[in-house]
Amino acid sequence: MVVTSYLALSAILFSIGLYGVLTKRNAVIVLFCIELMLNAANINFVAFSKFGLFPDLAGHIFTLFTITIAAAEAALGIAILIALYRHVETAEADQFKSLKG
Amino acid sequence: MEANLALLIPLFPVIAFLLLIFGRKAFCKKMAAAVGVAATFASFALSTWVLVAGETITWKVPWLQIGNQTVSLSIEIGSLQMLMLFIVSVVSMLVHLYSYGYMKHDDRIQVFYAYLALFTFSMFSLVMSSNLLWIYIFWELVGVCSFLLIGFWYFKPEARDAARKAFVVTRIGDVGFFIAICLAFWHAGSFEVSDLQAVVESGQLTPGLITLLAVLIFVGAIGKSGQFPLHTWLPNAMEGPTPVSALIHAATMVAAGVYLVANLFFLFQASPFAMDLVAYVGGFTAIFAATIGLAQYDIKRVLAYSTVSQLGYMMLALGSAGYVAGVFHLFTHAFFKALLFLGAGAVIVLLSHEQDIRKMGGLWKSHRQLGIWFLAGCLSIAGIPPFSGFFSKDEILLSTYLDGRIDLFVIGIIAAFFTAFYMFRLFFMVFAGEARGPKADSKVPVVMMVPIVILGLFSVFSGFANASPMHLLTAWLSKGNDYTAATGHAPVWLPVLVVTVSLVGIGLAYLYFGSRKWSTSKVVQTVPRLHKLVFNKYYVDELYHYAFVLPAKGIGWFLYGVDRFVVGGLAYLTAWIAQFIGRIGSRIQNGQAQTYALVSVIGFVLLIVGLTAGRFLK
Amino acid sequence: MSWINWLPALVTFFPLLGVAVLLFLPREKTGLHRFWGIMATLPSLFFALYMYLHFDQGFKGLQWFQSVIWFQIPILQGEPWTFHYSMGVDGLSLPLIVLTTIVSTLAAVASLYIRQATKGYYQLLLLLETGMIGVFAAANLFLFFIFFEITLIVTFFLIGKWGFLGKVKAANRFLLYNGLGSGFLLFAMVALMIMFGSLEYSDLESRMGQVMGQLALLPPQIETTLWAVFIALMIAFSIKLPVFPFHSWMLRTHVEAPTPVVMIHSGVLLKMGAYGFMRFGVGLFPEQMKEIAVLIAILGLINILYGALLAIVQRELKSVLAYSSISHMGIILFGLASLNAAGLKGVMFQAVSHGLISALLFFLVGCMYERTRTTELDDLGGLAKSMPVFSGIFLVGIMALLGLPGLSGFISEFLSYLGLFQNYPVIASIGALGLIFTVVYALRALLKTTFGPIHERYRLLNDLNVNESVPMMVLVALIVLIGVYPDSLGAPMQVTLDLIVSRIGG
Repeated sequence: MVVTSYLALSAILFSIGLYGVLTKRNAVIVLFCIELMLNAANINFVAFSKFGLFPDLAGHIFTLFTITIAAAEAALGIAILIALYRHVETAEADQFKSLKG
Repeated sequence: MEANLALLIPLFPVIAFLLLIFGRKAFCKKMAAAVGVAATFASFALSTWVLVAGETITWKVPWLQIGNQTVSLSIEIGSLQMLMLFIVSVVSMLVHLYSYGYMKHDDRIQVFYAYLALFTFSMFSLVMSSNLLWIYIFWELVGVCSFLLIGFWYFKPEARDAARKAFVVTRIGDVGFFIAICLAFWHAGSFEVSDLQAVVESGQLTPGLITLLAVLIFVGAIGKSGQFPLHTWLPNAMEGPTPVSALIHAATMVAAGVYLVANLFFLFQASPFAMDLVAYVGGFTAIFAATIGLAQYDIKRVLAYSTVSQLGYMMLALGSAGYVAGVFHLFTHAFFKALLFLGAGAVIVLLSHEQDIRKMGGLWKSHRQLGIWFLAGCLSIAGIPPFSGFFSKDEILLSTYLDGRIDLFVIGIIAAFFTAFYMFRLFFMVFAGEARGPKADSKVPVVMMVPIVILGLFSVFSGFANASPMHLLTAWLSKGNDYTAATGHAPVWLPVLVVTVSLVGIGLAYLYFGSRKWSTSKVVQTVPRLHKLVFNKYYVDELYHYAFVLPAKGIGWFLYGVDRFVVGGLAYLTAWIAQFIGRIGSRIQNGQAQTYALVSVIGFVLLIVGLTAGRFLK
Repeated sequence: MSWINWLPALVTFFPLLGVAVLLFLPREKTGLHRFWGIMATLPSLFFALYMYLHFDQGFKGLQWFQSVIWFQIPILQGEPWTFHYSMGVDGLSLPLIVLTTIVSTLAAVASLYIRQATKGYYQLLLLLETGMIGVFAAANLFLFFIFFEITLIVTFFLIGKWGFLGKVKAANRFLLYNGLGSGFLLFAMVALMIMFGSLEYSDLESRMGQVMGQLALLPPQIETTLWAVFIALMIAFSIKLPVFPFHSWMLRTHVEAPTPVVMIHSGVLLKMGAYGFMRFGVGLFPEQMKEIAVLIAILGLINILYGALLAIVQRELKSVLAYSSISHMGIILFGLASLNAAGLKGVMFQAVSHGLISALLFFLVGCMYERTRTTELDDLGGLAKSMPVFSGIFLVGIMALLGLPGLSGFISEFLSYLGLFQNYPVIASIGALGLIFTVVYALRALLKTTFGPIHERYRLLNDLNVNESVPMMVLVALIVLIGVYPDSLGAPMQVTLDLIVSRIGG
């Protein structure tokens, strides 16, 4: 059962990412953690594309897409963060609460 | 071919209107006057030609589709219409000419001529239309022209208020007319007067409905013709320039109500109640306004009340089945009242816009010619033979007498006495004695004198249009209808009585105001309350103010309160409820993206657990 | 498929091109924004006029009809729910589309007193135009709903950002009420989808006809549901029109919104209510409409008298006009309640004519405010002295408002009243009192503004400039055209109205 180890790694990675997203106060770290979660998903894709019931290249291609989009997203996220930082002079995620109802 | 030529009658003034309103900067004062006079002269020539040709002209063109019915713009020029066209064009042309003298110092004379032209157009069209809807349309248009011209000196608060009053009060009457044409459409199936006539005469309408229609139309006529109880606007309308008073508020527009009743005479004849109403309202107005006229001091107000009173006479005639008498008086009155107003306008100009007759006097010596023509007008309205008013008034009283309403006949006689009295009171105060106010040292300009002379000639001779034994007008008007069937012969004593009564009135006026042998202050002292009542026009304005205006405003304010606090309160309540729910919901929305993420993770986990558990439970 | 069938889409979406162009303009170039904002409304105006000129007056149904499957939602049993993108124009929508394009262009021209954030302003204005035209050009209830919502949101921002002092409150009130209306509309839409499986106007009409034809055979729930849908639609459009007692949002909007937005709002947005009543009320539910006709007539009576009486006591010019709008919308209700050819024609005429008149009047008031800095009636007076052109046009506007013959207001008023006189002469007669009150408040507004002695501080005011007076002249010309030759407006709608009247039956 080779696939299990990949899945385990992916699950661990995902959980770490999720934990980070939910608890870290620094918004940059939150962004990194999101990357972790995305990569966890990527590992799953690749694993199933190699060892799944119907192995084909679709999983690889998806992963490439994800990486591209993740890169774009990271760039965008960092840009927003920098703009925010200039505005409120902090990168602490719990300070960004102007959406409070 | 003829129809097309007749269509040009209203076309000339409307072209003049458009030229003047859009090119008011381009025209100098003289040019503006020339355009107005030329247009009305062209209309006058055509109207005269139509009158002389004497053939009924009809013309029709579809205008508006309502369901499967087509409302047409339709014209029918019968004998009554030809006569009206002639009257309107003559007076309008002369007033256009006269206005140049009266208004030449006004900066906005171009606009003035534009409004006058628009009025003339509307009045021609009103007369020519043979469709209730179109009559209503032009009925409103003449009303608005009247409004504009009364308020021509817009910066005067009195003119503004008078204009508003004229519009609102006549609108009250118009609503009656409006309801009538709507009802007529659904019951007669069309707006055409001829269709309505056919339906009425074939007895397809119930008597109640005919009465209702007639009464509602008469309400419109009451408003327009200044009959009691909607007469209050007409005296105020004298705030407008005097040529306007002559044209609109004496000769033409105010007579439109009388014309309407005459035009729809078949409807009124079919309803005895409506005839009674017309006669009694007319008779009452005649004497009511005449008594007010006794105690007024503004030269134009006296003439205004006299107009109201004379219009009452016309209504009285129509209500007493005196179709010809009513129209005849309309005809003669247009000339002599326009003459009187133009004469009064000349006096006002001479005395540098003084209108109080207590400050006038002595003009007979300095302005003999004006005095003579003014006297002709006064004699005419007082009913002294051979002036025109005598013939028409005689016929009115005759028809009232023949109709068997002795009470109205007596009222008519008394009103004739008052008429003679207040007219000569006016005449003597203005022309006799010595000057009591501003001096009149200029001459009356020719452009003003010419219309006065022409109208003077008309007032002297127009009475012969229906004088015995030829009765030209009766023959003319009875073409194509049977309105004149019931004329009888006059008892010999009747004209004698009328003339005697008028002469007594003139004599009394001479004693009080001409020779000043008797003093009016004594009369005032003997009946102070009565004098005050009459002087204040029976407090009708005040009554309306307290009975209608204030309550309407009160309701308005009350509803405004309701709107703000009850309806607005409901709105606030709705808003508050929405906000309340929102506030509860917003507790969860703390603005922390991480909390939201946590919530969604928890939800996702619960979902997964639920789905998995569901599998096991199966 | 020729391009001509895309005509309604062209009219609708051309302003979006302007939105795109504006996107690339620098923020501070106000003049450029204005230029493109006005230019972008012109193609729609042109196409709308083209449609008006080439409209086949004898054709029954939607012209330039275009229908494409947009998306489908699979359901458990049966055919999937299909949502079409479909547009078409008939006698009901054509006059309103033309009106919308005219008013939009004029509003863009009238925006010359908007000075801040013009880029976003013109974008929103153009988006609003797309929304409004779309509402009328849509031939599918779903599409209608989407456009309806676009107008709502966009107007909210236009009021909230560019309005006068109380703009935030007014915008909130606007959104709250209209959102409520949209809720009802949404409910009705979903219910119709579930019942009939399609939201195409043509499908709705034919299936509605089938259902009504065999109502006795169907379970009673069907009728109840139909009534619920009908009532929901009525409430939705009553709020939009607005009908008493749903009117209070509209007063604030009229007073607080910027001039061009009020022109559009009073000129077009309110007419969406009238259009909805015609299209979905009378057009879709003739039987139900007949049953509540008395109620509508009474509501119309209340609207007319209530609006007019309140307008009499207002001290502020815009409030007078706002209440007068309520009164005039009562006339639309009169026309609806009559359910005959005259009355329904009156509704359409009133929608167009009041649109033109109120656009004109609000434009005038806006121009006046820029000079006098007040709209309080007691502070005004005598403006005819310093602003004769303004006063002349204002006079015409007021005369049209009070229903002077020869101007468009009379035709619509007359037709609506005439229609009601056939069925409910007593209500109509009482309503005729409104004609008197209308004169009172309209003249009061006129006389207190332009007549009377002039205040010293107004003596040197500039009269209207060409930018202002030319658009006004266009409106005046249209008002006169409709008043003198009503068939110019009436002829295209004749066939559609006949169809509706025949569906109402005897």
